[in-house]
Amino acid sequence: MEEELQSILKQVESEIGSIQSAADFEQFKARISGPNGAFTAITKQIGKLSPAERPLAGKLINQYKQSLQECYDRVIQRLEEQQLQSLIGPPVDPTLPSPDAGPGSLHLITQVREEICDILRKIGFVVADGPEVETEYFCFDALNTPRDHPARDLQDTYYIDPQTSFGNIERKVADERYLLRTHTSSVQIRTMLEQKPPVRIISPGRCFRRDTADATHSANFHQIEALYVDKGVTVKDLKADLDFLFRSLLGSDAVTRFRPHYFSYTEPSFEVDFKVGHLGKVGSDWMEIMGCGMVDPAVFEEVGYDPKVWSGYAFGLGIERIAMTLYGVDDIRYLYQNDLRLSRQFA
Amino acid sequence: MKISLNWLCEYVDLKSFTVEDISHALTMVGFEVENIEVLGLPPLENVVVGEILDFEQHPNADRLSVCQVRVDDGDPRNIVCGAKNFAKGDRVIVALPGAVLPGGFAIKQSKLRGVPSEGMMCSERELGMGDDHEGIAILKDRPEIGLPVEEVFKDRDVIFDVEVTPNRPDALSHLGMAREMAAWFRKEMNYPEIQRNLDPVDAKKLIHSVTSETPENCPHYRGYAIRGVTIAESPDWLKKRIKAIGLRPINNVVDITNFVLHETGQPLHAFDADLIRGKCILVRNAREGEKLVTLDEKERTLDSSMTVIADQERALVVAGVMGTIDAEVSTETRDIFLEAAYFKPGNIRRTARRLGLSTDSSYRFERGVDPCGAEFAALRCMDLILEIAGGERVGAPVICGEAPLVEREIQLSVDYVRERLGFEVSDEDIREALEGLEFDVREERDAENAVMLRVGIPTFRLDLHRPIDLVEEFLRIYGCEKIPEGRVQSVGVLEEDNPVPRYLRRASQLLVGRGFNEVMHYSLRSEKELRRWYDHTTASNLGLANPLASDASHLRPSLVPGLLDCIALNQSRGNDPRMFFETGRVFREWNGKVYEMVSVSLAILETKRNSWKQRESSDFYGVSRLVLDLLQAAGIQLSEDAMVPIEGENPWQQGHAAELGSMRMGFHARMGLLNLVMTREWNIEGLVYAGTLYFMPEFFKRPRKRKSYKPFSVFPAAIRDLAVTTDSATPSGKIRQALEKMGRKAAGNEFALESVQVFDVYQGQGVEEGKKSIACSLVFRSPERTLGEKEVNTALDAIQKEVQSHPDMELRS
Repeated sequence: MEEELQSILKQVESEIGSIQSAADFEQFKARISGPNGAFTAITKQIGKLSPAERPLAGKLINQYKQSLQECYDRVIQRLEEQQLQSLIGPPVDPTLPSPDAGPGSLHLITQVREEICDILRKIGFVVADGPEVETEYFCFDALNTPRDHPARDLQDTYYIDPQTSFGNIERKVADERYLLRTHTSSVQIRTMLEQKPPVRIISPGRCFRRDTADATHSANFHQIEALYVDKGVTVKDLKADLDFLFRSLLGSDAVTRFRPHYFSYTEPSFEVDFKVGHLGKVGSDWMEIMGCGMVDPAVFEEVGYDPKVWSGYAFGLGIERIAMTLYGVDDIRYLYQNDLRLSRQFA
Repeated sequence: MKISLNWLCEYVDLKSFTVEDISHALTMVGFEVENIEVLGLPPLENVVVGEILDFEQHPNADRLSVCQVRVDDGDPRNIVCGAKNFAKGDRVIVALPGAVLPGGFAIKQSKLRGVPSEGMMCSERELGMGDDHEGIAILKDRPEIGLPVEEVFKDRDVIFDVEVTPNRPDALSHLGMAREMAAWFRKEMNYPEIQRNLDPVDAKKLIHSVTSETPENCPHYRGYAIRGVTIAESPDWLKKRIKAIGLRPINNVVDITNFVLHETGQPLHAFDADLIRGKCILVRNAREGEKLVTLDEKERTLDSSMTVIADQERALVVAGVMGTIDAEVSTETRDIFLEAAYFKPGNIRRTARRLGLSTDSSYRFERGVDPCGAEFAALRCMDLILEIAGGERVGAPVICGEAPLVEREIQLSVDYVRERLGFEVSDEDIREALEGLEFDVREERDAENAVMLRVGIPTFRLDLHRPIDLVEEFLRIYGCEKIPEGRVQSVGVLEEDNPVPRYLRRASQLLVGRGFNEVMHYSLRSEKELRRWYDHTTASNLGLANPLASDASHLRPSLVPGLLDCIALNQSRGNDPRMFFETGRVFREWNGKVYEMVSVSLAILETKRNSWKQRESSDFYGVSRLVLDLLQAAGIQLSEDAMVPIEGENPWQQGHAAELGSMRMGFHARMGLLNLVMTREWNIEGLVYAGTLYFMPEFFKRPRKRKSYKPFSVFPAAIRDLAVTTDSATPSGKIRQALEKMGRKAAGNEFALESVQVFDVYQGQGVEEGKKSIACSLVFRSPERTLGEKEVNTALDAIQKEVQSHPDMELRS
């Protein structure tokens, strides 16, 4: 009997390697271990043996049954592996380029705007918003701009066709002219007219000046203006907050200096220069970066804040200018051309 | 404005300060120095006048000469020279050993090709004087041998080009700037003194009268007459002053009026008195269409808003702007009539703008000259004319009106100054700074014994009215650099960022996360493009009143054309453009009005890419997913059921585009394939899928609602598939919604129909022509138990029964 079992196991071991599918395997298994299988036939012989022989034969059969099962398990495992392998292709060449698009990216102006907003949020500012089409009141009158100030001229500011009426831009003065805002200070006026102090807002946004485009001028550009109104806001606070902004933006070695200047809506007014060692060629000289000042009492009176109680500061900076300084872009027009070779550098 | 340092030094002693000190001072008091130009020679040691006694060819070099040059009483020096432009006997500039030329070039004794050389003969450029480097400088005036070179070129001056802010017309002169420097450096001012006895020699008048018909534009006018001047070239000192600030000398009288203008800031005008007809002056409004020829020899047409200075017959000067050739001072002129007046700023500004003519005179009048400065300037000018051009004064001045009263006093609390600044400064500092600016400061005590300054403001400072203005004046002179470092005093405010930027930030993050590149384009587009994309009314409503260029004449109604520009540009440059988005403001017309709206737009270029592996192409459904996600980010929950096909809109390809929302709802989205013909017009190779969302900014003002959690069932779902046929034109969303309704009804109160989803759409064999089959899977679930086979099948039967009686669909067998 042992010889017969031995030969069945040998046959199984030699043939089983060529089985390639589950169906073949089931068929093969039936031939050996099925009801009419060769192995089953041998196990049936046990009944014919003497009771003395039976325990030994039973032990032997169990031993071979186990060996066969091990063979079957190996095949099942092999077939399962083969089946999983068939789900995937050949090995990849990881050095091939992905056919998918590269990373998405934010525009450089957006990146710089968000960086500045993030810095100012840390010191308590929130972002305010307002329309790009404004009226003369919000853009000029309320900001204490003299009636015949050149900024209001047709040569410097874009006005909207007088026939056009706007559905969602409120006018303060009947029939006043609509224009494209020349700064986002108009948002400060709208905010102050709507809410009581204290106010701590930044207004990033698009502005327009009637300039011929060149390397440093653009028909539209972006600004961030900040307004802080509270009791006892001082020149020293303004300097401290701007130092915080510039050190966050340019590194802790950045230094700023105030120079007296003139804006109709602030008094005193300053232009701010900065100097920072690591910025290479711009590092050694003072470089003009923005304007600022203490809110002029006339502006407070216009929006109904009592200038005897409230004081405040305002500052405004050009995002393009900062972006060009930080990243060394030498022509503002590149920022509006959208050549992917530029965006990809800052993705 | 150009400021000459030498000229400035006539009024304030700045000799002990370097150019850098002065430049810094100008900048720090508020006049930013934009440029510094050095005229003439800087002081140089060991650079002297020499004479070439003789020269010969260098024995070892064809191009060099060996010269014998006398520079002092000792032996002549042997100097090797490469130039050829000199002759025996020429006087030249010699840099002797020990001299250091501009640029740090040190002169030493040396040997050139074996011949010793004891110095160098210099060109103008080597001395830092000019650009002439054609050869060595030959001194034609033959100055004395041995004279230090700076004695030969005594015209050294430094010209500062400064920016004067519009609030400071008082600083548009050398005296004005000198005052600022005197305050900063704490120096005394030396005002020019009127030298001559200006009493009239006789009572006879050259000009009988001055009348102003327009006192609102010309409140004050003074005229002086001088007889018997000699018009000639100006003396050197005067020409030098005029030239230093970039003016061209004309003749002595004209140069003097220009000099006094730039000295005092008061514009003056000199007439040839003989040419004033009727011997009277009339200040009047110009006549509509009145013509005259100004000194720049251009004919100007005036209108009645402008003021002119006229005689009996004709206008002689556009008041405060420019004179005419009709009464011009020329070499023939014998008698002079000198005008010194005060014109109101607004009138001069409008006139100058309308004529497109800005002069030194109009520039000052339109910003505001000292209303009381006319007399001093006139006397100063007369003084110089009598001194330089001779003649004698005739008659008393003819005067019309009075100088406006502009004297003011401001009460300033020293504590107020400190409060506004936020740092300590002494009472003394405040007082000194204000006095330095020639303000009349008197100290008083208020009821609480606090120091109160009464500050008298001089007439030339038209910009100072309030205590806060004096805080700035103090800080300017005290020094902005002394503002101490401070700490951020941040206070938390109970406010959120405005929802519009908040939304745009979210939308941008979403799109960047899906591989889109953000771009930015100009807000102004061409009318032609608007007409092509939209319609006539849109174009006519979005125009600017004063466009600068025809390609930027209208407000943009959409961000999509910009995205196409970007795709076209990047495609033409071989940059493999794929996915772009832009956010920003657009302007949409609705019910005859224009609305400024917030927009997010995206575009995907679908084109055959040169790649080793092809990806599945983009399509409508990729864009519709993005648009729904972007709407959801704005808190708008919509499904495809709400989509409406776009018909008859130029930019969109019919049958391949859809919209959601409306202007009335506060948002409007469009998406799909862009019109193929238009894409081609943009020179784009391929298909462009776009999505564009518009929101009314007010839409975002809805109060923020926090969502609350809805529990979900933990029991398994029972899923049944159902296929129906319908007209191929019927939107599948309509069928889905109908099935959903039926399912809800069928499930009743026992359990719930969770969802109905379309998973297959089929047209072709087995489905009737003109029909399509839609297969949906219906998901049933109970919140409380596992559903039994039987109850689900009963519900399905009920749905099928309803489908059979539905007019738009049939059960698919």
